[in-house]
Amino acid sequence: MLSAFDIATSGLIAQRTRLNAISSNIANMSTTHNEAGERVPYQARFAVFQADPGKGDSNGAAGVKVSAIETQDIEPLLKYEPNNPDAGPDGMVAYPNINLIQESVDAIEASRAYEANIGVIEITNNLSEQTLRIIA
Amino acid sequence: MIASSLFDSSTVPVLEQVIQFTQKRHDILAGNIANLDTPGYRVRDLSQDQFETRLKKAIDQQDEQRTSYSLNSAATSHGNPINEVDDDFQRMLYHDDSNVVLEEQVREIGKNQGRHNMAIAVMVSQFRLLQAAITERA
Repeated sequence: MLSAFDIATSGLIAQRTRLNAISSNIANMSTTHNEAGERVPYQARFAVFQADPGKGDSNGAAGVKVSAIETQDIEPLLKYEPNNPDAGPDGMVAYPNINLIQESVDAIEASRAYEANIGVIEITNNLSEQTLRIIA
Repeated sequence: MIASSLFDSSTVPVLEQVIQFTQKRHDILAGNIANLDTPGYRVRDLSQDQFETRLKKAIDQQDEQRTSYSLNSAATSHGNPINEVDDDFQRMLYHDDSNVVLEEQVREIGKNQGRHNMAIAVMVSQFRLLQAAITERA
């Protein structure tokens, strides 16, 4: 019974990490420089989930963990802005190719998944209380 | 004397230990949540496993010797699990050098609350039985 708490909590942590990656992608949708200050446009990040039997039970139920944060490797979005200081010799500025629609939908999905895990915790809590009612 | 033998024959002393432990652990877990954003903070906890092993040993010993329950009577090389705060956790560190995960702490505090409520519920029903015996009515 208590392993349901562990599994749902691992889901909460994984979905929160995913939501962090999505918010990073949306915040950096116009970022033209990387962490080192070089003129490399931001690439979208994705949380990769992996089944985690260590958080599950002996019957094969598994939790989830974030195995890695992968960086997308796609062509940047080139815009002709010759007056922009970030423009190359051809007058093109490289912007991150972030799909805002996809990120927004992913954000909704992640927050719904978070809610679903909260729901599982509430149900499990309820079950424990019901069991307690037998003796009390 | 009568009162002490009255309680020792029930599970009230064991439940008392459980409630003491869950209350101490609640304090420590609350401290973890309070320090969620404290740079350099390390998660602290009391070992549930160690407490349960020690309690079981104490119960076994009591069954043999018919003495009262005491965690200290179970002599081991370790100290009392209620006083032994463990802050040596091997886990991921964040950039601010802390390692508190909110969800995990809330889960542990919830589990701890469940154990506390269970011990209280059992204790209440024990006292109700005792009351019934004393007043000769249920």
